[in-house]
Amino acid sequence: MAQEIISVDRLCKSYAGVDALRDVSFSLAAGEIRAICGENGAGKSTFVKLLMGITQPDSGSISIDGRVRTIVGPQRAQGLGLGFVAQELSLAPRLSILDNIWLGSADVPLIHRRPRFRARAQEAMELLGIGDWDLDRPVATLTIGQQQLVEIARLLARQARVLILDEPTATLTDAEIERILGVLKLVKARGHSIIYISHRLGEVFELCDSVSVFRNGEHVATKPVGEITRDGLIELMLGRSFGEMYPSVPAHRQAGNAVVVEGLNVPDAVYDFSLTAPSGKILCIAGQIGSGASMVIRALAGLVYGATGRVIVNGRPMRLGAVPHCVSRNVLFLSEDRAAEGIFHRMKVLDNLVATSLGAHALLGVLNWPSLGRFAARLADRVGIDRQRLRAYAGNLSGGNQQKLLFGRAVERSEPGIMLMNDPTRGIDVGARADIYLLMRKLCALGYSLIMTSSDLEEVVGIADIVVTMYRGRAVARYEREGIDMASIMVDITHPTPRSKAVA
Amino acid sequence: MTEPLARWPSRIHVRAMPENWRRLVGAPRNRLPAIRAVFILLLGILALTTPGFLSKPSILSLLTTVSFIGCVAVGMTLITISGNIMSFCLGAIVGASAMIFIAAVNWGGVAFGFVAALVSGAVLDAAQGFAIGWARANPIMISIAMLALIYGVVEAVGADGTVYAQAGVSYGMFKGDVAGIPIEFVTFLCVTAIGQLILSFTVFGRNVYMVGGSIRAVDAIGVRTWRTVSGAYLWAGLFSALAGIMLSIRYGSASMDYGVGYDYEAVAAVLVGGTLIKGGEGSILRTLGGVMIIAIIQVVLLLRGLRQEWQYLISGLIVLAVIILHTRGTRD
Repeated sequence: MAQEIISVDRLCKSYAGVDALRDVSFSLAAGEIRAICGENGAGKSTFVKLLMGITQPDSGSISIDGRVRTIVGPQRAQGLGLGFVAQELSLAPRLSILDNIWLGSADVPLIHRRPRFRARAQEAMELLGIGDWDLDRPVATLTIGQQQLVEIARLLARQARVLILDEPTATLTDAEIERILGVLKLVKARGHSIIYISHRLGEVFELCDSVSVFRNGEHVATKPVGEITRDGLIELMLGRSFGEMYPSVPAHRQAGNAVVVEGLNVPDAVYDFSLTAPSGKILCIAGQIGSGASMVIRALAGLVYGATGRVIVNGRPMRLGAVPHCVSRNVLFLSEDRAAEGIFHRMKVLDNLVATSLGAHALLGVLNWPSLGRFAARLADRVGIDRQRLRAYAGNLSGGNQQKLLFGRAVERSEPGIMLMNDPTRGIDVGARADIYLLMRKLCALGYSLIMTSSDLEEVVGIADIVVTMYRGRAVARYEREGIDMASIMVDITHPTPRSKAVA
Repeated sequence: MTEPLARWPSRIHVRAMPENWRRLVGAPRNRLPAIRAVFILLLGILALTTPGFLSKPSILSLLTTVSFIGCVAVGMTLITISGNIMSFCLGAIVGASAMIFIAAVNWGGVAFGFVAALVSGAVLDAAQGFAIGWARANPIMISIAMLALIYGVVEAVGADGTVYAQAGVSYGMFKGDVAGIPIEFVTFLCVTAIGQLILSFTVFGRNVYMVGGSIRAVDAIGVRTWRTVSGAYLWAGLFSALAGIMLSIRYGSASMDYGVGYDYEAVAAVLVGGTLIKGGEGSILRTLGGVMIIAIIQVVLLLRGLRQEWQYLISGLIVLAVIILHTRGTRD
């Protein structure tokens, strides 16, 4: 066994009484590439924040090179040889590669444009096989994948011995991913350790030596990749077998088309997209980030200025680009960005639930609070929020309850509507996920038509009745219940295929 | 020798605050009520031990002066809760509506004066709200532009001095007192009640909170945000115009100087009261508390013989402290 660089002992952290991390022990050897896998909300990012000194643990200790250290901030983590690349790139686009490499480095006194620092930056770039790039080139002229490499070079220039990468390939093309993986193997060969957080199991098995699984704030297991199968890994992450997650689908009813979209165009994002969605079904638009899938949802919700196309909802034409009009057609949008676009944190759960129904419980603009209160209680029952929580602040709810709250706003309408959702289970833990899926099925039974996107293929296959695949802004194919198959969806959304032209 | 600069410290560590010190300054939100209670207690003791504070003239002048600022502060609360921080032109609207009131009374009588001043105040401010809500313009910049605009128009029509009411105008019940309480204060209490009722019991009021909490979330549920923002400014203009009217009735004259500083003092009262500067949370009743606290501090300072500059200094320090406590306590 090689020497341990990081050793973590019984780390705990809770936010507002909710455990984000419970008794996590963890160790990483020099020259090891370790994957960390887990559902959203499993505690991966909290763990990284503690390692990088962004937040402090409630209890437990972190040892670096065998010595217990208190990591008081990112600068201290840097000093100890830990480097972190966040999911969102943190480069200053107008500055040069050289400037970016030294930006925020604890090593640099005041001025980094000295030959010594230039040479060190060059050295780091050469290590990654990109020594031929001009250090004075503005970062904005690089592709996202190339910028990712600059981020890694930055860590090497700071002499990081442990590189922590949070989903470095989430937004990259296949060729770029190959390049990043190649570079990481090089980095490993130089004796650096890597903590690699990823949802993409393929990369985990290709690149990593071992994998640690987090679930609900606990470190469930660590195994060498040779000793675990793909399905075994998924089972560890979910905490149950894959099949129990999704509710069974009631017998098919032949239903009319609730939504017909023809020739939807969003400048630079979606081209000539068509879609028919029946009521009582869940239709999932599958596509990678940047495929335009989420843009379709936003355009249909009326949130995209400049979207054009013919949309018929329950037989009536709908204009795009104005949310109030779409809402009046019973087309309702549930944002995946609950913090910014969904809930009102500093308002009570009750206020949040009735936010869209104020007008129906008011006379000449004056609210009927007793009636609103009863209505909110009814909504809470419908979506499974404890009535006790109606008086709590919405910001204190868990992600799952917040999502139920958003569903609550959309139910109890005079007629079943159309629900548009981007990634409805983002940031929601496994247990609450199953509740959300159940709720979605209930809405279907009421006659709602659900149109969603998902970044998680397993979810797509598990929940959808109809799947429409998208690649680079165009629809590729349409699959109905029995024909849905993960392999062909994967091919559709990652590669240009002959089918790209034959649109369903 | 090769590189003299190399003797610079190679690592600059940002020293973290010790944990107990952090607890004290980074007062989390749930400690704010305690801090507030202690502060009010101290202020109460200070006020009651100040000779002359409880005398009738002192109380009456306190109640009258808070009323003008108070009406503006109620309007400002709506602006702050709607997420637009503050408007720099409410003071100018106070001055302008005071002048319009006097001019209109001289021309067409008291009733006409009321209508003219209230309508112009509401329209001027609603226009501001429309620009902010519809075009999503920066509220501070728009309010500064509006301020310049109002002053420009007043100068252009040649009314940059003081205008006086004609002799013998009777304001009837709008001058004097009700059961010994100055009419200004009664009006202020009515404005407070109206403002609080609007916020708590109307669709518009709930929308103000939602827009201030997250304007993107309101967009996503299909509420027309520009209407809400314009509405908040309209009420603010209306209440400020009322303050202008009360001032001109009291002095029988009007000038742009009447409103100078009102915007700043109003927002100070809003924040001291406990309404969040980032919007989405607060109430008119809190503002009532803030107005009273600031006014009591000023009276105490005055009675204890401290001059104007000390009053500015101390109210500045208090606002600073409140803002820091709030933002540190509510950082997510």
